[in-house]
Amino acid sequence: MSSSNRYDVLMHMLDHIDAQAKPALSDMDREPARWESSMQATCECLTWRGSWSNKDRRQAEDELGETLYAEFPHNSRQALVAAHALLDKGFITQDELSSKMKEVRERFERV
Amino acid sequence: MSRTHDHAPIQESEEISEFEVLETAIRELSISHGLFSAEDHRRFTEWAESIGPAGGSRLVAKAWVDPEFKERLLADGTEACKEVGIDWNNPTGEGTPSDYTFFYVLENTPKVHNVIVCTLCSCYPRPVLGHSPAWYRTPNYRRRMVRRPREVLAEFGLYLPPDVEVRVHDSNQKSRFMVMPMRPEGTEGWSEEQLAAIVTRDTMIGVAVPKVDWTASSAPSEALSSPSRGH
Repeated sequence: MSSSNRYDVLMHMLDHIDAQAKPALSDMDREPARWESSMQATCECLTWRGSWSNKDRRQAEDELGETLYAEFPHNSRQALVAAHALLDKGFITQDELSSKMKEVRERFERV
Repeated sequence: MSRTHDHAPIQESEEISEFEVLETAIRELSISHGLFSAEDHRRFTEWAESIGPAGGSRLVAKAWVDPEFKERLLADGTEACKEVGIDWNNPTGEGTPSDYTFFYVLENTPKVHNVIVCTLCSCYPRPVLGHSPAWYRTPNYRRRMVRRPREVLAEFGLYLPPDVEVRVHDSNQKSRFMVMPMRPEGTEGWSEEQLAAIVTRDTMIGVAVPKVDWTASSAPSEALSSPSRGH
């Protein structure tokens, strides 16, 4: 694994989510948010079109979810690990991800 | 386009989740880099959301009329599923991570009643039963089914005689279960299609048993017999 600086864009998200505590057992009693279902579809499409294997991704979710991203809410780890893997594999750069997130945030906040 | 509704608008949080932003960014970057297309994503979502319990119903009905298939189904559930057109590796060729697993079909007998649960989260045999019902994911069901199964089953209207053993099967990351209920009396000579219609989702979870006058598409008022406390 390379320098942790590569994942700064992801780690900085912690600054904005301190109100989102780890889910308790009762939090499992809910429908997945729309973005969670969409994230699942994205992960499946990346497997389908050959960018990675589901087994490797699951393993990465288990390992990184309990270490680097342990402080994040459980339901966010799939997205974090997906971004992490895309950065690792060189499919995207941190600058691209950072600017894309900024663009998306501005789009969503536009009334 | 109508501009009026006779009900209040749906209230949702207007706060935008950082993870919603991250998800959108990952998806749009993947698409712009050619890793997959927006059409791929839409098709996968439509496919995944369209799966229901009909596949499981077909498995059970076929097993009821074909003893050799039943043997194959009980011996290797994942492989036998292919005979009714269900491939657990679809659509990616690898299966979804939570479905890339072993699938076990549990046969009910006059002395054994099976029921499935996931105490840890919401593991469910989605390729054969579709999305799990909301109650299956509740802590109430998950916690109590393993401790007081007869009590929980009674809340679903299923009262089992004391001499019937209740076996609760806890799903996990690598194991998915589905119940094969007993074929009810009065279905002699029925086609597989007729049989499949009475094998509803709940009978394959194990919180109900098939009834000759009841299908999942029936309105509750259409049942011919009134509910009883009998098995």
